[in-house]
Amino acid sequence: MANYYDIDDIITQEEFVSVIFQKAAGGVGIDPSSETDSVEVGSKVELPFWLAHELQLRQAVSMNVPACFNQKTRLEIQADSACVDLRSRSPYFYEFGCKIAPLVADRTIGPLLLSAFKSRYKEVLTKAHTAAYPAASKHLTILTKEETHLYEAAQSSMAAFKKWRMGGPRFQRASILGRKRKSNE
Amino acid sequence: MAGQSDPNLSLFSAEEVEFIAEDEMVEIVPNLRMDALNFICVPLWLAVALKKRGKCTIRPPLWMSVEKLTQVLEAERDSQRVFEQLPFHYVEISRLLFDHARDDIPDVYMVRSLVEDIRDVRFHKVETNLETLNERALALKINNLSAMEVNIVRPFIGRALQAFYKHDSPELIPDQERISDRRPQVANNAARRHLRR
Repeated sequence: MANYYDIDDIITQEEFVSVIFQKAAGGVGIDPSSETDSVEVGSKVELPFWLAHELQLRQAVSMNVPACFNQKTRLEIQADSACVDLRSRSPYFYEFGCKIAPLVADRTIGPLLLSAFKSRYKEVLTKAHTAAYPAASKHLTILTKEETHLYEAAQSSMAAFKKWRMGGPRFQRASILGRKRKSNE
Repeated sequence: MAGQSDPNLSLFSAEEVEFIAEDEMVEIVPNLRMDALNFICVPLWLAVALKKRGKCTIRPPLWMSVEKLTQVLEAERDSQRVFEQLPFHYVEISRLLFDHARDDIPDVYMVRSLVEDIRDVRFHKVETNLETLNERALALKINNLSAMEVNIVRPFIGRALQAFYKHDSPELIPDQERISDRRPQVANNAARRHLRR
């Protein structure tokens, strides 16, 4: 897969998904609340996405929609997506949704992500290039990783431009040349 | 060079854009006796170097007069979508001339403030244009943008377009508006298996 080495992708797959086991699994201590080492059919367990995905391919579990896409979040996004604190739901909201959407029998996740991103993008846009005090904006704390990526790209390029405009020495002296050499007399 | 610090950005640094801008031709009036003509068209880097050694004075380019710039500023303020025709490297050229040839420009403070205003207005227009990006956008076309302005928004636009493209993939969006051939899906309440990655 193209994203095998991508750190963001790896951390995205760490998000928990609740699954229902279709087959009994013996000798695994996945469910911490059960007394035995095995998992019964029909029991509901929280697994990380990478594990749930593999088990689903083997038809051992069936995935439910994760908690971050529940009805409460959807209503908040429909009301005013720019203010919803997506980072507290999951810092990888969009990536996780993109991964989950083909696997769970829920076709509304895709449009939900798209509409949320569209309206939040406008907010990011207006604040990205021109914010004077990046730390002062509490808007930053509610952005997911992807949106923060976008924001920082704009910030850094604007900062570089401003630094250039200030002027200053165009050549930098290498630090190793800073020390004076004693003249040999 | 480009993309040095962050491989994802593929960005020219501002200094690099300025370096490219120094190839533009300007006219100088040499102090010393030189071979051919009185007014010579030389590249900007040569003009700045001669100016630093006190061997010439630089004639400001034609677009850099108070009247012309005021005209451009009025036109920029009038329209919301259209950008005025300005030299591709006007930001860099104006900065270099302000730094090195300040006494050669008549009304230098006025010219400087006009250029700054023009830059501000244009940049706000760029941001307004960017709001029109939606999921159907595969590319964005803005006319008459200058090199430095393009360089500033380049990483942002690139990532925004990528993000929109990713969210608009056919897997995610159910197929009401699309004209693609879909195989008839059997309604299946159990977990689906997607073999295509």
